[in-house]
Amino acid sequence: MINVLTRYLTLFVLTLLVLAALSFSLAYLFPGDVLTNLTGLTPQNDMQREALARQYKLDQPYVVQFYHYLGQLLSGNWGHSFISGLPLREEIGIAMPATIELATYAMLIALIVGVPVGYYAGMRSYTPIDHTINSVSLFSYSFPVFWLALLFILVFSLELGIAPLSGRVSLLFDIPDATGFILLDILLAEDIDKGLALSDALHHMALPTLAIAIITTAAMIRMTRRSVIDVLGRPYITAARSRGLSRWQIFSRHIVRNALLPILPLMAIQITTLITNAMIVETLFSWPGIGNWLIQAIYQRDYPALRVGMLAVSTLVITLTILVDLFNRLIDPSREKYERATV
Amino acid sequence: MALLDIKNLTLEIDTGQTRVKALDKVNLTVSSGEIRALVGESGSGKSLIVSAISGALPPQWRMTADRLSWRGESLLSMSTEQRRQVMRRDIAVVFQNPVSALDPSATLGQQLEESIPDELVRGNWFWQRGQNRRKIAIGAVHKVGIKHHRHYLSAYPHQVPTDICQKFMIAMALVSQPKLLIADDPTRGMETTTKTQVLKLFTRLNQTKSLSILFVSHDLLAIASMSHTMTVLYAGQTVESGKMKHIRKRPLHPYTKALLDSAPSFRNNLPPKSTLPTLEGTIPPLQHMPIGCRLGPRCPRAQRDCVVTPVQRRIHDHTYNCHFPLHMEKL
Ligand SMILES: Nc1ncnc2c1ncn2[C@@H]1O[C@H](COP(=O)(O)OP(=O)(O)OP(=O)(O)O)[C@@H](O)[C@H]1O
Ligand code: SF4
Ligand SMILES: [Mg+2]
Repeated sequence: MINVLTRYLTLFVLTLLVLAALSFSLAYLFPGDVLTNLTGLTPQNDMQREALARQYKLDQPYVVQFYHYLGQLLSGNWGHSFISGLPLREEIGIAMPATIELATYAMLIALIVGVPVGYYAGMRSYTPIDHTINSVSLFSYSFPVFWLALLFILVFSLELGIAPLSGRVSLLFDIPDATGFILLDILLAEDIDKGLALSDALHHMALPTLAIAIITTAAMIRMTRRSVIDVLGRPYITAARSRGLSRWQIFSRHIVRNALLPILPLMAIQITTLITNAMIVETLFSWPGIGNWLIQAIYQRDYPALRVGMLAVSTLVITLTILVDLFNRLIDPSREKYERATV
Repeated sequence: MALLDIKNLTLEIDTGQTRVKALDKVNLTVSSGEIRALVGESGSGKSLIVSAISGALPPQWRMTADRLSWRGESLLSMSTEQRRQVMRRDIAVVFQNPVSALDPSATLGQQLEESIPDELVRGNWFWQRGQNRRKIAIGAVHKVGIKHHRHYLSAYPHQVPTDICQKFMIAMALVSQPKLLIADDPTRGMETTTKTQVLKLFTRLNQTKSLSILFVSHDLLAIASMSHTMTVLYAGQTVESGKMKHIRKRPLHPYTKALLDSAPSFRNNLPPKSTLPTLEGTIPPLQHMPIGCRLGPRCPRAQRDCVVTPVQRRIHDHTYNCHFPLHMEKL
């Protein structure tokens, strides 16, 4: 147990170190001044430049520079945006939760709808109803996410006019930023009409969330169904049947858990896709998330922002992946055996 | 009275272009209170019979039978629910590969406890019933000769040795107090003392609880000492069936004779250092079964008539499928 935790922790730290090194080297690889890329500040004169260079240890060997860079990252001093001049930590602190919020709701929908439907289809495998579910999910899985989002905008926003085109919440509401999650912020906010604000936020959120959720839900359905069909063919299910257990007993005691175990690692892979999709959809809906923010940074050649943005997104993805994998390891009793073979 | 009665059970499967008969008109009965041995070489279809009886055949098999009945009621025509009840209370099966027949994600204790039918559990409240279940489970584990129940009940199948898994399968089968136990090679790979322990348990349950047993095994020695009747299978056909002592004394079918001769302990007049007589060749693959009597190419007594499948013939309660049986002059 402690062993497993240490191993995952080591893996996590090492990966982050590699990413930090990559991010550091970007300061040198990006065009322009290394000092500017690293700090986001443009020195006015030589004296200021020298002072900054000394502060960032740029006059010392790379290793020392990197070590200093790590310290800066950890203490929250991530540099400033080239364009807005604001500290990057603040900007990312606002953009990142917006993306996570979008991805979380989409994932929730995918789990709540996808997994049960997948179980149902798997239990009814190769019947007409299963074929229908299977075809529909294959069909939805094949949509490119930006096309789906554009289609939604076209139909729901432009033709029917039932959903707003862009943004997170109407500008009429002045919602202070407390958690970064709009729904929570509304609930925490004072002196606004919470009901109206919530409904407005949900209207804004519906289309982008659905656009991402549909694809992930389809993936969940397909994974769960496949896994249930696999489990149904196992000898222990046959043996359980021959012991006269009822369909429900077999399902709840032997199928649910065994079918879920192989899907969990696949879910971890889905998280990466999900966040990518969320970032793509954001730009179309002008959702103020990290994807949108990064695209803006690219347009404006905001190198310091890109350097830290890339690090932030990959840290998020890696943290989630490792957490899911660790969780999976903890709940799967038969994995102990293979401990030496993996990681 | 015959508990289990199987007549002309045929199993076919499509292998690419051809359809092969893995079982060809197999007959088998198990009477109340008897231990019947089912023997045959590896690949002769013993496990298929077990699966067919327990309704565990994969869907790609096509099954036909003139009769497959449990206490006079046809298992083939009864509803799924009725069949489930029969499997739950009356017939218990120990499958050949115990490790794969156990759910890897549930503890052995959970799996044993869920095999206890509700009627056998006493108590009105769920905690009383839970305790009682636990007690029954511990009793069952002790009965099959596992001592450290505390350790094993909370273990997962991959954490325990194979013979413990085998014993758990037996415990799970016996805990529902069945009328018929079907045990497919239950002692495979066990060491001698453990094996004796299990066989003794079977014999005792047969005598005290009049449990009927269909015992599938390669182990002629074990079979001979415990079973009352025997059915011999060759390449998916029943070749001979009857009382153990009759068959041992006077096998009518050439295959049975070869089988018995190949086990040294059955021969009392064996000269020292003589080679064991066995049949030439091996069991043919399913795709290349000879027509007529499937033993034909290997049979020392084969003649032209043998290309016609021999029908089942009967002398008292001893049946055989052969055109030219042995020992007829003595009968
Ligand atoms: N799914 C399948 N497809 C095709 N042939 C099969 C299939 N399953 C079993 N068979 C064949 O059916 C025959 C009987 O197999 P079975 O497992 O019943 O043998 P067995 O008598 O139990 O042997 P053993 O003593 O080794 O357990 C074998 O020839 C096997 O190759
Ligand atoms: S029928 Fe013919 S081939 Fe078959 S066992 Fe009898 S003698 Fe041998
Ligand atoms: Mg077998």
